[in-house]
Amino acid sequence: MAEPISITSLTKTYPGSKVPALKSVSLDVAPGNFLVLLGPSGSGKTTLLRCLAGIERIDSGSLSIGSRVVADGRSHVPPEQRDLSMVFQDYALWPHLTSLDNVAFALRRRHLPRSECRSRALVMLERVGLSEFAKRYPNELSGGQQQRVALARALIADTGLILCDEPLSNLDADLRERMRVEISSLVREAGATTVYITHDQAEAFALADHIGVLEEGVLVQSGSPEDVYHYPATPFVARFTGLAGELSVRVTGQGSDGTLELTAAGVTDGSVRLPALRPAPGAGGPARGLRPGDDALLAIRPTGIVLLRSAEETPHLSGRVADVAFRGRGYEYAIDLPGLGRLTGVFARHRADRGDSVDLRLDPEGCHLFPAEAAARASDGTGSPAPALTA
Amino acid sequence: MPLFWLLLCAFILAPCACFLLLAVSPRLFDQGTQWFTLTYLRQSLTGSTVVPVINSLWVSSVAALIGLFVGFPLAWLAARTTMPGRRWVSGGMWLALLLPSWLPAIGWERLVQQDGVMYRIGLDWPWVTHLIMGPFGVTLLLGLRCVPFSYLAISAALNGLGQEFEDAARVHGASRFGALRLIVPILAPALMSALAIGFAESISDFGVAATLAYNSNFTLATYALYAAIGNFPPSFPLAAATAWLLVAAVAIPLALQARALRGRSYAILSGRTRQAVRRRLGRLEAFAAGSGLLVFFLIILGIPGFGAVSASLLGDFGGSFTLTWSNYSALFQQAGLIGPLERSMFYGVITASVTVFLGFIAARLLSARRTAATGAMDYLLLASVALPGVVFGAGYIFAYNLPIMSTLHINLYQTVQLLVIAYIASSLPTNARVLVGSVSQIQPSLRDAARAHGAGAVSAWARGVLPVVSRPIMMAWLYTFCGVFLELPLSQLLYAPGSPPAAIAIEDNLSNYHFGVGMAQAVLAVFIAFASVAIVLGAYRLLAPNGWRRIGTTVRG
Repeated sequence: MAEPISITSLTKTYPGSKVPALKSVSLDVAPGNFLVLLGPSGSGKTTLLRCLAGIERIDSGSLSIGSRVVADGRSHVPPEQRDLSMVFQDYALWPHLTSLDNVAFALRRRHLPRSECRSRALVMLERVGLSEFAKRYPNELSGGQQQRVALARALIADTGLILCDEPLSNLDADLRERMRVEISSLVREAGATTVYITHDQAEAFALADHIGVLEEGVLVQSGSPEDVYHYPATPFVARFTGLAGELSVRVTGQGSDGTLELTAAGVTDGSVRLPALRPAPGAGGPARGLRPGDDALLAIRPTGIVLLRSAEETPHLSGRVADVAFRGRGYEYAIDLPGLGRLTGVFARHRADRGDSVDLRLDPEGCHLFPAEAAARASDGTGSPAPALTA
Repeated sequence: MPLFWLLLCAFILAPCACFLLLAVSPRLFDQGTQWFTLTYLRQSLTGSTVVPVINSLWVSSVAALIGLFVGFPLAWLAARTTMPGRRWVSGGMWLALLLPSWLPAIGWERLVQQDGVMYRIGLDWPWVTHLIMGPFGVTLLLGLRCVPFSYLAISAALNGLGQEFEDAARVHGASRFGALRLIVPILAPALMSALAIGFAESISDFGVAATLAYNSNFTLATYALYAAIGNFPPSFPLAAATAWLLVAAVAIPLALQARALRGRSYAILSGRTRQAVRRRLGRLEAFAAGSGLLVFFLIILGIPGFGAVSASLLGDFGGSFTLTWSNYSALFQQAGLIGPLERSMFYGVITASVTVFLGFIAARLLSARRTAATGAMDYLLLASVALPGVVFGAGYIFAYNLPIMSTLHINLYQTVQLLVIAYIASSLPTNARVLVGSVSQIQPSLRDAARAHGAGAVSAWARGVLPVVSRPIMMAWLYTFCGVFLELPLSQLLYAPGSPPAAIAIEDNLSNYHFGVGMAQAVLAVFIAFASVAIVLGAYRLLAPNGWRRIGTTVRG
């Protein structure tokens, strides 16, 4: 049966380290939900997962799985008593056991007869398409097959919680995509609550029902994939979930409906005419946000830029093609903006050559505005949740 | 390459092959009438001649098990717990390895034998004498000798065994003990290596066989082989048959180990291996573990060390425990006592320098593109590592004593030159194996880059290659120097009359009841060996450029 998870003010510092790996993390996961913890290396996502597994002890706060408190700083339920399963980053398949024995091991806690363990393990291997590899040792399997054995081992015991520690990071791009689909469908079929960690935003958006973004031990945003993408809480979240570029801007005016008029900082020749942006709903608003005269950071998603084909439309920006890459269904550009930096990942169906001058329009849907001080905090590594404005 | 092969054939392959061939074809070497016979092999397996072989087999088996059962827990405690003194364990193990087996053996012997240190200090315990001066003592000593091998083999595996296998077991329902039981088989290669190496080292050991075992009337196969050559009339074919048994006894467990592991992978290292977490021992556990460690080092180094040092400070006769420096003064005053130590030092320097040079060439050949010739060389050197020293020495005596050598005007038998050549030939395989790891790591581009940027050939080598291999070369040199300085089996078989090396002089003194002087020589020899190590390491630390010393050191993340 799927288990809910409740994490309250969880703090963890490794012995010998002065910097906490997790700082007062609070998070609830509904039963059967697929939570993806997203963050760069060192953000604390693996620590959080290992705390959930019981491999690491927490310093303070509490952690509940189902109705049971499994850790609260004083008590610590050992991993084997938490009734969960886990897919490890490098699979951690025991090299001296066959695929079948690796999978069957996870049934030991169910105290079933040996023969039943083996027959169930075989069924599970069949489910992941590996029944003919049951007698093979891990070193006789390909990376993808090892990954599936690890997945079968996690699924077989029918636990209410499955933890996945970057299980796709060791696979090549093609296999990663196929295994992602398999994990998504098999885990959802099992109906367990899943906590999955990755540093790959595309993988996170593709898998998650719910995403938590971690930065230096702090949970900076938690929400649906759509929320995280469309309403990033901080410049860090915006950057980590994919930006084409950033512009330093200044608020020059405010409309009666709350829209903000902007101009690019340092550009006075009128070559840059930015669109007016409306603050994001429920994320602070003008009262707490920006006012005319404030400096700000404009974060631009790749989907927020349109490469214009003709002079019929009025451009917001002009630049020069620094690089072009053919991507099958179109072209991906890197464009230098004189005095403003470079935009990358700009997609268009038509071809322009390196060195060509191009005009660009910004789509307010793909632009996010942040107060300059929040951007500075994110850059110097002291980032914390900050109000966000969006188009 | 052809020149190197010629050297290998002349000094390693031919002497040993001739000697082993002699067991089945004595006529080939004018040692009998049969072109092919199994008589000597049969003879070595029957009657009284088989007893030493059986002794060696069971003693080595038990010794290997002792090595494993002591080495494994020590390695586990040092790698995975907060045992007090864990940082010193590896150093202590290397120290124990550096000493030849005959040194602790004579230390124990002088401690417990009648009129020894134990009786002099008033401990009248004949049962201890009987226990140590017999199969138990011999097995215990060889077993303790196996502990460092087991410890080092298992430690290396434990260091690579990340935390995730244990975590995976715990997460999937195994208790702490269940997880341990699950992951111990992952260490199977290291455990099997520990057993195989322990067995091979014990069965080919000559140091304990020629001292404690011989003086306890407990004959082992290596000593039986030596006696077959040394007694009058010598029986080379019988000695060769015993050599076959020794070689088989060493090769079979190594081959079985290789076969058991073939087709299976125990690969546990990956770029993402998570370092294992040390278990914090409780106060009582820490006390027990620390005490166990102390007792172990007392037995392996402390007691024989005490036996040797105290015996060197006692007079040869009389029952009192009166300490005197007279033995040490005698070393420097009486003629012929310090000479063997100086001689062995000289042999050690020459051998270590030549061997490291040749070993480096061999390592370069082995790490180059694999061809049939380098493959054969690899097998030859590997097989030579496992060849007991006494078989090697016997091969030399036999081969360089053949009439054809006189015909060819190669009159090396009973000369210092032959002894040094034998030292070099027996040390070369180990050196080449030690150096091949480092030499394989040298990217040709390092040298090429230096050449491309204007350095000459010598300068390119000195700047691009030498820094990478300087530390392994120094360690190989020290290991060879210490090994040769205190070497026994080859010295026993090949030393030139009138020019005994250190080990022989010490043995002679002890067997002629000059216990005090003999032990003083032994203590001084160990002191010289350790002082040489300290001086060379210190000089490297002071003189080597900073960049050289950084290569191969661990980077803290």
